[in-house]
Amino acid sequence: MDRLVDLVIAAVLLAGLYATMAYGLGLIYGVLRIVNLNHGGMIMAGAYAAWYLHTALGLDPYLALLLVSVAAFFVGILTYRLLVRRLPRGAAGGVQSLLLLFGVWLILRNAAYLLFSGNDQTLRTTYSTRAIAIGNSLVSLNRIAVFGVAIVILIVLHLLLTRTYVGKAIRAVAQNPDSCTLVGIPVERIYALTFGLGTALAAAAGLLGATLFPFNPSFGAAELLKSFVVVVLGGLGSVAGTAIAALILATVEVFAILVIPAYLTAAVGFVLLVLVLVIRPGGLFGQRVLG
Amino acid sequence: MRTANLVLALCALALGACKQSSTDQKQQAAQGSSGAAAPSGTEILIGATLPLTGAESRIGGFYKEGYDLAFEEANQAGGVSVGGKKMPVRLTLLDDTSSQATAASLADRLINSDKVQFLLGTYATNLVEAQTVVAEQNAIPYVNGGGAATAIYKRGYKWVFGLLAPVELLAESIMKWIDAEQQAGKIPKPATISLLWENTSHGKDFRKGVTEFSDKSKNYKVVVDESFELGGKDFSALLGQVKAAKTDLFLADAHLPDYITMQRQYVTAGLCNKVLSYGARGSEKQAADALGKKNVEYILSAVWWSPLLADKNPEAKKFVDTFKAKYQNRVPEWYQALGYETARALFRAIEQAGSLDRNAVREKLAALKMPSVLPGGELTFPAEFGQQSHAPFVVQQNLPDGSSPIVAPPDSATGKGIAPNPNCAK
Repeated sequence: MDRLVDLVIAAVLLAGLYATMAYGLGLIYGVLRIVNLNHGGMIMAGAYAAWYLHTALGLDPYLALLLVSVAAFFVGILTYRLLVRRLPRGAAGGVQSLLLLFGVWLILRNAAYLLFSGNDQTLRTTYSTRAIAIGNSLVSLNRIAVFGVAIVILIVLHLLLTRTYVGKAIRAVAQNPDSCTLVGIPVERIYALTFGLGTALAAAAGLLGATLFPFNPSFGAAELLKSFVVVVLGGLGSVAGTAIAALILATVEVFAILVIPAYLTAAVGFVLLVLVLVIRPGGLFGQRVLG
Repeated sequence: MRTANLVLALCALALGACKQSSTDQKQQAAQGSSGAAAPSGTEILIGATLPLTGAESRIGGFYKEGYDLAFEEANQAGGVSVGGKKMPVRLTLLDDTSSQATAASLADRLINSDKVQFLLGTYATNLVEAQTVVAEQNAIPYVNGGGAATAIYKRGYKWVFGLLAPVELLAESIMKWIDAEQQAGKIPKPATISLLWENTSHGKDFRKGVTEFSDKSKNYKVVVDESFELGGKDFSALLGQVKAAKTDLFLADAHLPDYITMQRQYVTAGLCNKVLSYGARGSEKQAADALGKKNVEYILSAVWWSPLLADKNPEAKKFVDTFKAKYQNRVPEWYQALGYETARALFRAIEQAGSLDRNAVREKLAALKMPSVLPGGELTFPAEFGQQSHAPFVVQQNLPDGSSPIVAPPDSATGKGIAPNPNCAK
């Protein structure tokens, strides 16, 4: 029984991490129809930003979360205004946006190699190895915090998209940008805002990841792939779907250890991805447009 | 359309690594051209690549320090003696960017374009594995201190020589220390083992070493035997198995990032085993910084070399002293020692051959027996092990005062190990 409880807790906490990694990717795709390959680069940048603020200024990573997210938000807006905006929209822009954003990621990664070398870095705080007892299980405080942040992001994103004018505008642009132009919604500004928001979420995920694992300039690649799986499972453009998909993926991966060797558990997610693409290409939660 | 975009994205990701290595390769070719020269007949040209950038750049830099020291030392002594005539040695060193493809193509370039006479190896098993094929095809002596997997040496290659003893022996060294503690009644008999290993040739060799020892001894029972993906992010389910099994020993084989991630989760899960080891990892300062000194206490590790050997081995002492003199009093790690010794082994074989003939040098390498900085004090490349050194490992244990004395083998020991882990009683 204890083992089962341990596995359930592990799955829920892992889901929190997966969800934070995937929100940004899903949001940008849902609105701009762009697969942001630089998502991995911003995850890495968020990790290094947290590490730098912690080692140079002694700033706690959770206190730095807002600062890093805001900075990344403006980086996202700048990236949109300087680069993404120039791409053709719709199907014609698919390949170009992939290549462009992949190029940006490579630049970011190589810049990080230049600045920080390929050494693995770690973020150690006073609570890095602290745990809380839940029943007979000891649970990492850090992982609980990451899960908490994932829930907060989910709620804030949901409220933003359903209760605010900007959120409604984002959803409207996601549905039909041409009609939005007719009714006076500043579509370009909404695109920039969404790209900034998605980028900020990627950096926040990187920061949270850095509190849990060592990282180097290649950090973000595996996280991007995992985010793809979550976003596709959840149905592109569905925030709540993303969170539920993260939970499904984490549960399947964690419980898979009961039936298959541990090294294969990471592959389970990709098998799931293929199955969903074949059986239900719109994702498990359909084609809902954000919120 | 959405699906098509995603498929494109995944393809782009997969192509990414190839694209980057190809770019890096061009860059390296441009950079390296200035350092290349045809053999002049007055000096010995030796080629090597190291991962000076990319994922393995930190360790690549350490190996470079070892190579630089060995070359400087040889040239300060007037060069390497070839048939009674001293000839300076020159190293053409290129950056393989931690990429397997680049390592192989640069090795080919060193042989066929830069016309080096001998090759020194790169670091990391996968890169060495790729280069050995090129060396064998071109029939050029290739001496490396960076590839430990037995798979490299089981292919019957004539021209490949390795200084890193196999990881199986690493596991066996740890087990021998545990066995001595068991004989002394400090560890239960039989003892149960949780064995976690990364799913690589390194990990497989580690597993083989532990399981073969326990099968032979009958005093051990492997209860958990699981592999994990390199660069894993969540080991909680795996550690849950370890927790449920309540084993006496926790033996894992992991690279540094996985060791840090796993040990962090191990500590937070409240696990404690009578003996705890992560194979070659354990005594690194980086891990103690990342995890806290308290959380790495009593971890047992086995490595190919330790600066503490200087107390017992005159060759190791000489190396440590010259290294500290050259590098601002910094204490070398096993990487620099292996780099240094790799170059020295080649120099010694050239001297013994008395010529620069590749065949003659190869024969001398195969028969080499030289006083060494390595544990045991002697370096050989036994034919029965595919010309892979079987120098013993040194087993170290982290103590609460921050030191990591050598606890085995007895002839190299600088301290006494502690078992069972006293922290488990708290």
